[in-house]
Amino acid sequence: MKLLSSYIKEMKIAARGYYFYIEIFFAILLLIILLVAVKENPISKETEFLFYDMPAEMVDAYYSASIAKGDVKAVDDTILEAKAVSFDVTDENTKEVTSYAFGDESYQFKTFEMINTKTGQLTETVYIADSEEAMIHMSYLEKKIGATMSLDANGGILYKYFTQGFETTRLKNLLYILHNESGAALKMTMDNQSVRKLGTIETLNARENMVPVFIVFMGSLMGFFIVMAYIFLDKSEGVIRAFAVTPSSVWKYLLSKTLVIMTTVAISSSVITIPVMGIQPNYLLFYLLLLISTFSFASLGLLIASFFDSISKAFGALYTIMIILMLPAFSYFLPSFDPLWLRFFPTYPLLQSFKEIIMVNTDVGYVLANSGIFLAGGLIVFLLANLRFKKTLTV
Amino acid sequence: MLRKIFSVFGRDIRTSMRDSMAIFIIVMPVVMAVAITLFTPGLNDTTVNLAMLRSDDPSHITYMEQFAKVEVFDNIGDIEKRVNKRDAVAAIVPLESGYEIILQGNEPDMVENYTVMLNSLYELGTTKEETTTTMMSFGHTVPPLKTMLVNMLISMTVMLAGMLIAVSIVGEKADNTINAVNVTPLSQIGFVIGKSMMGGLVAMGSIIVSLLITGYYDINWFMIVLVGLTSLILAFVVGFLQGLASDDVIEAAGNVKMILLPVAGSIIGYELLADKWQWTMYWSPFYWAYKANLLVLSKQADWPTVLLCTGMVLILSLAVYFLALPKIRKGLS
Repeated sequence: MKLLSSYIKEMKIAARGYYFYIEIFFAILLLIILLVAVKENPISKETEFLFYDMPAEMVDAYYSASIAKGDVKAVDDTILEAKAVSFDVTDENTKEVTSYAFGDESYQFKTFEMINTKTGQLTETVYIADSEEAMIHMSYLEKKIGATMSLDANGGILYKYFTQGFETTRLKNLLYILHNESGAALKMTMDNQSVRKLGTIETLNARENMVPVFIVFMGSLMGFFIVMAYIFLDKSEGVIRAFAVTPSSVWKYLLSKTLVIMTTVAISSSVITIPVMGIQPNYLLFYLLLLISTFSFASLGLLIASFFDSISKAFGALYTIMIILMLPAFSYFLPSFDPLWLRFFPTYPLLQSFKEIIMVNTDVGYVLANSGIFLAGGLIVFLLANLRFKKTLTV
Repeated sequence: MLRKIFSVFGRDIRTSMRDSMAIFIIVMPVVMAVAITLFTPGLNDTTVNLAMLRSDDPSHITYMEQFAKVEVFDNIGDIEKRVNKRDAVAAIVPLESGYEIILQGNEPDMVENYTVMLNSLYELGTTKEETTTTMMSFGHTVPPLKTMLVNMLISMTVMLAGMLIAVSIVGEKADNTINAVNVTPLSQIGFVIGKSMMGGLVAMGSIIVSLLITGYYDINWFMIVLVGLTSLILAFVVGFLQGLASDDVIEAAGNVKMILLPVAGSIIGYELLADKWQWTMYWSPFYWAYKANLLVLSKQADWPTVLLCTGMVLILSLAVYFLALPKIRKGLS
């Protein structure tokens, strides 16, 4: 009963304060951004600059055939402005250096869009220059790969790539061998490859893919920050000392603060998730993990707060931990970057669990296992925080 | 006047050093700079990750290692377990005749296409030695992703300086020292400048050290300092507004979250919006600061563009300042 009355009292105070409404407003704002600014299937911004050092009829024939097959779409010519610049280009094999100096230029490029025939989505925009100089100038300024295609004595195509220099050796190795075989031979071999998929897992679109990030970093993780702010506010106003002389125990005070955060996060996360995901997620698992993870991060916030007198003094620890906990976002957005050490950060499994929850085929075992780990960890940290506050008596 | 301003500055340094905030603002960008330097090579690796069987033909494994990150496993069970993990890994395993590519099913198309292409090239016996392709290089050593991360670090450092001021003012309000300042010979402007100096110096120092750590030695330092100083004016205005508008740390925390939105929005807008929609971000001084820094860091900046960007930051910051001046005056009273 004391816990319930503490919680109700804290909720009334929170509802009178400015912060509670900021959270809700912020959630609505993020929702609007998700619905308006984030497209479900974003348009690719990949571009390539090419120059064909061969008869125009050959180039036209190649693109006409591709357009007929449906994997290329011709669009209006593009005029691009290029600033004056001078630079060197090095042949990676011979180490021969060629110097270029360009003035301010305006180039017209024939433009084609590469289309994924399965999805109909744009994969790349190709700009075809009238001269090699125009291709080199734009490729240098736009920091995109450029290429010149010319004919050898036998009528085969020779490729000269203009790389930026920061590409990995693996990518350059691929460029070296990519055109050793004819396009037809390569395509036939590719079509004959046997591919087996272990499951028919539905993937999330770009908008849905953002939801776990907002939930973890703007929801669960914010509990860590806000509970500290609440505690330091009470410290500065002497509320805690007043609380210490009441019959209620310290853990009830700490838990009532945590419950306020959990309520706020549950509301703000619902504002974002329900309109974007509809009925697709398993909401039972969603709220279970959301409340448990918010409790765990809030408990961590309580423990950290117990070591400091004011938010100014805790500032370093607070932001360092928050920044460290945000690092798994890199792996979330760049699946090829997934070092082992990053998987030990608590936000890594949390992001993956929320992703599982909002997908069609949820791995319930994985989510429940992570919920259990977060609950156990959160309880241990909460008990430690309780011990710290009881010991110091300065809560 | 100057002596009084410096006395506010000196007092701020002493009080900030007592808690960890100033130290954090100095150390954090440096630590982040080291982290960016260490992580960027991994982040820049755009090829696929492959899982292969140890019993496979060693020449097949060696071949694939030229183009992809390869992990080797003892049996097919371990391979499938690896593929089923949450990152994007494709497997290539030998069959009685030929190979089978195993995917989890939720990988980006690029992973499947890349793996299929690599194995096809292997089956065709294509080698680097027989290539007719020529590779030219512009000699850029810094990937755009690193430049973007360093630019984001600069934006964050500048905003941290603003937050330092905000929290410091909330502290002054809690201690009732703002009222005390009003009865000293120090003017309100002097107080504002004095309070801004520490955040400014700390942020500029941190930015310069971070740039040196991340390897941006040969950029135009005059440009970066100019953009940094104009961005700091913006951070100070925002910091003062946050501090004066907040009655306690909870409100300051809420305000910090609100101000992160235009900062993050400007970065996302600059990076993701098509050229024809860039104008929709012109209202944001953070956008101009980010753009100017990016041009300087990628060594594509010219003085007219940098002056235009810094001019926009300055005009927009001053507009915010003058619009908020009555509030600042009221808050300081």
